[in-house]
Amino acid sequence: MSSPTRSITVLYFAAAFTAVGTDQETIALPGPVATSESESGIEGFPLCSLPDLLCARHPDAKLEKVLKGSRWSVNEEMVTEEEESTVRLKGGEVVAVICPVSGG
Amino acid sequence: SASHSDRLETGNGECVLSYEPLDTQNIIKSVGDDAAGAIAVFIGTTRNSFQGKTVVHLEYQAYSSLAIKTMATILESANTLVGRSEHSVQGTVPALIKCKLHHRLGVVPVGEPSIVIAVSSPHRRESFQACEFILEEVKAKAQIWKREYYEGGNEDAQWKENI
Repeated sequence: MSSPTRSITVLYFAAAFTAVGTDQETIALPGPVATSESESGIEGFPLCSLPDLLCARHPDAKLEKVLKGSRWSVNEEMVTEEEESTVRLKGGEVVAVICPVSGG
Repeated sequence: SASHSDRLETGNGECVLSYEPLDTQNIIKSVGDDAAGAIAVFIGTTRNSFQGKTVVHLEYQAYSSLAIKTMATILESANTLVGRSEHSVQGTVPALIKCKLHHRLGVVPVGEPSIVIAVSSPHRRESFQACEFILEEVKAKAQIWKREYYEGGNEDAQWKENI
């Protein structure tokens, strides 16, 4: 039985964009996907594990320092610092690296 | 691209992200109203120096779909903020008449506007207060970034962080 691959879109801006050299990429989320529809089977990939995944994809990019100082948005909503450790990605989300802003 | 021009209307105003030069006079004119006794305006322009280095231009990008929502929320918060002033009377005259917030994206040469905020109100205190509040909130929260380019080449160009 084939299981579907969950993937997310990651958007890069500013220092993150300069570090990786692209403004977006599709990332396959690791981990098994349950074939049943019960909630307990689909735990989701923790957002707080995403930095390691992205740094492994871009090992020469000096991305780690940028991500340490950045926040995140998921589907155009900012993730608060308190939420960062509890947000889980199920696939299909648009996740953006939000470096310290400098508008105005 | 996630950094694109965008526009969002609010209850009594409008937020705009644009790659075109900002038409400051038109933006100011657009908040005019016969009921206004005051129009407060802030124009942010590219400065030619930073810590002794010569700046040749700034370049802005935005996560536009999120930034425009943040900008609209800021305009709504400005209304709530000044709505508590001593001039506002519940259910009669609003404290602010119109608020416009325009931010330019892409390259902004020295001397040109990157942000224009125009606010009209019956009395001066509210438009001064709202105008400054909107600017500081944009600097703190809007998902917009600027890169500063210096004389002597692009290699040293720095993404800035508003502290």
